[in-house]
Amino acid sequence: MPPRIHPPSRAIASIPKKRRHVRSQRQYATAAAITPAAPHEQMTKSPPPIARYPPTQPPSYKPPEFRKSQLLRQYASLLRSTPLMLLFQHNNLKANEWVGIRRELSAALQKVDAARVSPVHPPEPLADAIKMQIIQTGIFAAALRVVEFYKPESRPSTLDPTDPSTPSSAAVPVFTQSGDQLTHTLSKAAHEAVADTRTAHALAPLLSGPLCLLTFPNVSPQHMKAALSILSPSPPRFPAPTRRANPGWHDAAIQSGLQKLLLLGARVEGKVFDLEGAKWVGSIDGGLDGLRAQLVAMLQGIGGGVTNTLESAGRSIYFTAEGRRTMLEDEQKEASRETAKQK
Amino acid sequence: MITRFITEVSTTFNPFLPRAKTARLFLSFLPPNARQTMKIDTNLLPRTSRDPSFIKLKFKDGKQMKLDAEKLGIKGVVEEVDRHSRILSRQEELNGN
Repeated sequence: MPPRIHPPSRAIASIPKKRRHVRSQRQYATAAAITPAAPHEQMTKSPPPIARYPPTQPPSYKPPEFRKSQLLRQYASLLRSTPLMLLFQHNNLKANEWVGIRRELSAALQKVDAARVSPVHPPEPLADAIKMQIIQTGIFAAALRVVEFYKPESRPSTLDPTDPSTPSSAAVPVFTQSGDQLTHTLSKAAHEAVADTRTAHALAPLLSGPLCLLTFPNVSPQHMKAALSILSPSPPRFPAPTRRANPGWHDAAIQSGLQKLLLLGARVEGKVFDLEGAKWVGSIDGGLDGLRAQLVAMLQGIGGGVTNTLESAGRSIYFTAEGRRTMLEDEQKEASRETAKQK
Repeated sequence: MITRFITEVSTTFNPFLPRAKTARLFLSFLPPNARQTMKIDTNLLPRTSRDPSFIKLKFKDGKQMKLDAEKLGIKGVVEEVDRHSRILSRQEELNGN
């Protein structure tokens, strides 16, 4: 039977072994132990301050382990990052109707994306980021109040105490256990700032009953127009897709689902619009680029007019002066001719 | 809420008024297949309008109801609807259907 413990291979054996100092003498602990002096750096500099919490998890006023606290954070971040959202009331839609509506919506938005690639602008695929989601209205209302009415002046310091490059002399704010100086969404300051604004926001009365949101990451009237013509078609401006162009939209399940969706309003860049306002935003031709092009064309027209007007005065003066000069020159020539004849 | 005997619903409300909540909740109380069994007509008013919201109902026996949604509240509306629907369901039972 071969030995169980293999002899060390040659490669390992070639590594020089550290020499261990084996103390031959024994010392007793009772002897006066000499404490080594602290190193010079430790004497002159204070150690970096210790963070009492990880930077991504500041202490929170509302219990962070609850689903509703996390929903509040999620909705607040949604509200901060979404300039354009449509609010729908959904009255008892079934799962297959939701699936069909979402499918048709994403198909229509993909089409808009594909149509927008062709111009010179870099394509921004928005279709994947446009989402329809059902919200908890009460928590959403609270998040809306935090986003709209709580504007902390002092930004929390971005110093990270655990970062070695942070100078030790930097004043890292020391947060108390109650989290008095924190300014995040779940903080006590945010809670107290919005406590008495329950009905102050214009969108507040809308936030009751079953509600769902269609959120756009960018104000893009083209996408909005496509979404509106799928979700709540109204013939002159937002025609429903024809049966030939989009037979899937005319399925019974989708139609019965769409009858139960009710467009209530919109929130565009912090402003609240009703049904007509939402349709107006959706009907801006050519989107933001179209608006910009209109503005540029208008300004160019004005510029051309102004330069023409300003130039015309100069031009007329020039013509008058030129005419006068030629006249004088003619007179002079005639005079010189007459003098030549007289001589 | 007993919705079997309703044949027609027509509501008008401005969703930006807090008192329109009743009408909206009433719409959400209707069952998923409500559009197949009854005629539902929803009219949204513009944001500036101050017109009161109301719910108009028609039942199978031809009775019409116009409910002032702002005064009754959703509980009151449901009570009114159920009061008549129970009468209809009792008649249906007595007729042996």
